Amino acid sequence: MEPEAGGALVEARAVSRSYRLGAAEVPAVRGITLSLRRGEFTALQGPSGSGKTTLLNLFGLLDRPDTGRVLIEGRDVSAWHEEGRSDLRRDRFGFIFQSFNLLPVLTAEENVAYPMGLRGVSRRERTDRARELLAAVGLEGKRAVRPDLLSGGQRQRVAIARALANQPAVVFADEPTASLDSKTAEEILDLMLALNEDRGAAFLFATHDARVVARARRVVTLHDGTIARDTAA
Amino acid sequence: MSALALAFRNLARHRRRSVLMGAVIAFGFAAFALAGGFIAQSFEGLRESTIRQVGNLQIVDRRAASGTEQATLEFGIPRGESARKLAASDPAVETALPRVEFVGLVTTGGKSIPFFGIGVDPIPEAKATGAEELLVKGRWLTPENPDGILLGTGLASALSVEVGEGVTLVATSPDGSLNAVDAIVIGLADVKFKELNDRYLAAGLPLVERLLQSEGKVSKLVLFLREGMDEAAAAARLKAAFQSGGWPVEVLPWERLGVFYGQVRLLYAGIFGFLGAVLVVIVILAAAIVMTMAVTERTREIGTLRALGTRPSGVRNMFLAEALLLALVGCAAGAVLSLIVMAALNASGIVLPPPPGGTTGFPIHVKAYPLAYAVGVAAMALTALAAAYLPARRAARMNIVEALAHV
Repeated sequence: MEPEAGGALVEARAVSRSYRLGAAEVPAVRGITLSLRRGEFTALQGPSGSGKTTLLNLFGLLDRPDTGRVLIEGRDVSAWHEEGRSDLRRDRFGFIFQSFNLLPVLTAEENVAYPMGLRGVSRRERTDRARELLAAVGLEGKRAVRPDLLSGGQRQRVAIARALANQPAVVFADEPTASLDSKTAEEILDLMLALNEDRGAAFLFATHDARVVARARRVVTLHDGTIARDTAA
Repeated sequence: MSALALAFRNLARHRRRSVLMGAVIAFGFAAFALAGGFIAQSFEGLRESTIRQVGNLQIVDRRAASGTEQATLEFGIPRGESARKLAASDPAVETALPRVEFVGLVTTGGKSIPFFGIGVDPIPEAKATGAEELLVKGRWLTPENPDGILLGTGLASALSVEVGEGVTLVATSPDGSLNAVDAIVIGLADVKFKELNDRYLAAGLPLVERLLQSEGKVSKLVLFLREGMDEAAAAARLKAAFQSGGWPVEVLPWERLGVFYGQVRLLYAGIFGFLGAVLVVIVILAAAIVMTMAVTERTREIGTLRALGTRPSGVRNMFLAEALLLALVGCAAGAVLSLIVMAALNASGIVLPPPPGGTTGFPIHVKAYPLAYAVGVAAMALTALAAAYLPARRAARMNIVEALAHV
C-alpha cells in the first residue's frame, strides 16, 4: 500500500474531538485540517491542553474524531472497524510513548520483535531484524535484558527500535524526551533524526521540549485545539 | 513469542495472584477427582453386587413382568428345566439359574412368622452369586440335603431357632390349596438389609416344588452373561427363542430390576452434581476476581498492545490463554494432591456407615478413575475460561487512549 506520488501519508480533514469532563464537554481539537508527508520530521507544539496529544492520537488511529475524517494514504479510515485499524497501525505506524510502555515480561529483543510477530514474520527474520534494530539504537549488548533493568534512555531506545520494527511509514511520538535527562534526551533526538534520514520513516512528535522543536523540520503550533501556526524549516 | 509462552510469563510475573487462583483450581480439581473416583467406584461396586443378586438378565412371564401377579407362581414359567436349557444354549449366557419366589409361614410349633422365600438350584446358585458368602453360621444348601433351608439371622432370631433345628413351612400352591412341609435349618445368612434379614428363607428347588406343588414351574430364570457380551442383543435373541418355544416371556435387564441401584445412583448423582456446582461457583468467582484484577492492573499494557496493532481479539485471547494455562497447571497440582489424599484415605482404615437399609459399614476406598480426571480437567478449563471471558472481553474493548493514560 504505497501512497500516491506527492500525496499525504496521513491527513486530517476538519477533525474535531471533545472529551467529557464531569458534566462539561471540553473540546480538545476543533476542526483541524493537517497532512503529513513521507519522510517529514514534524513537531506538534503548544501549551498543555492545546490538543497536541489528541491530534496525535487521531492521526495514529488510537482515537476516532467526533466529526471530520482521517485519511491514511488516501483512504478514509474514520469508520473502519477496530480490527482493520489495528492492522493498519501494525503495518504502517510506529509509536513512541513518554513512559516507554515496554512490555515488562519481554526482553529488549522480544519487545522489538513483538510487532513483527503480530504481522506473521518468521521467527528467524524477527530475531535478525530485532538484533539489527537494537544495534542501530546502540543496545546490542542489552538484547536479553528485561525493561526493569534498563535505564530510562535505554528503555526509550528499545521503544524506538520497536517503533521501527515493521518498517512503518510514520512514527508517532508523544513527549518522547519528557522522562529523560537532557543529555539522554539529546541522544534520543539525534537517534530519531538519524533514523528518519536513514530509513525514511516520517516522525510526528507531540512535545513541549524546545530541543525537539528546534530540531524539527516542520513545526505545527496548536492553540486551544486549532492550528495557530504551521512552519517548515 | 507464542500466546501460551506470553501467558506463562505474565502468570509468572504476577506470582501471588497466579498462586491464589491456581490453588483454588487445584483444590477444586482434587475435590472433583476424589469425589468422582469415590462415587464411580461406589457405582461400580453397587453394579457388581446388584448383578450378583439379580443377574445380567432375567426371563419372566410377560404377565409377571407387568407386576400384576397376585399369588405365588400365578404367572411362572412352566417346564422350568427345559426353559433353563434353552436359555443356557444362548452363546452369551454363562449360567442360567432357575428361581422360585414364594411367601408363606415358617413355624416352630410355638411361633409362626411370615417369610419371603427363594427356591434355588443350590450349587450353580452359589457358584454364580457367591451366596455362600452371606452365611454367618452353618452351611449352604446341597442337593444331598433336600430338606435343608437357610434363614435370615433376623428371622431365626425371631423364631428362636438355631442351626440343626426343625421347622415347618406352610404356603399356598398356585391352585390355592394350603400345603406344609418339614425342613431343617442348616444355615443362617445375613443378607445385609435388615427388613430382608427378618423375612429371608432359602431352600432347594425340590423342597419348594413339594411345598408349592408347582410341577417344575419357576418364577424366573436369572441369567449371567459371559464377560463383554452385549446384554441388549442377548435379550432380543432370548426373547425370540422363548417365544418360538411357546413361552410368552419378557427379558428384563438388570438396570430395571435393581431398583436400589437406580435410587442410589440418582442420590449420588444429585450429591455429586451439587458438589460440582459448588466447586464451579467457587472457581468461577475466584477466577473472575483474579482476572478482573489482572485486567485492571495491566490496563496500560493493554493500551500499549492495542496501539502496537494487537487486535481486540488478540488481547482477549491473551487473557483467555492465561486462564487456560492456569487451569491446566492448577489441574496438574490438583491431580498430585488428589493422589496424596487418596493414598492417605485408603490407608486410614476409616469405615463408612452402612447405606440406607444396610446392616454393615464398609471401609473407605477411593480409586483413581481416569474419566473423573479427564472430566475434571475439562470442567476446570471451561470454568476458568468462562470466568475469564468477561474480564478478557472488557480488556479487548478498552478505549486505547484511556488505557494508555491509565495510572
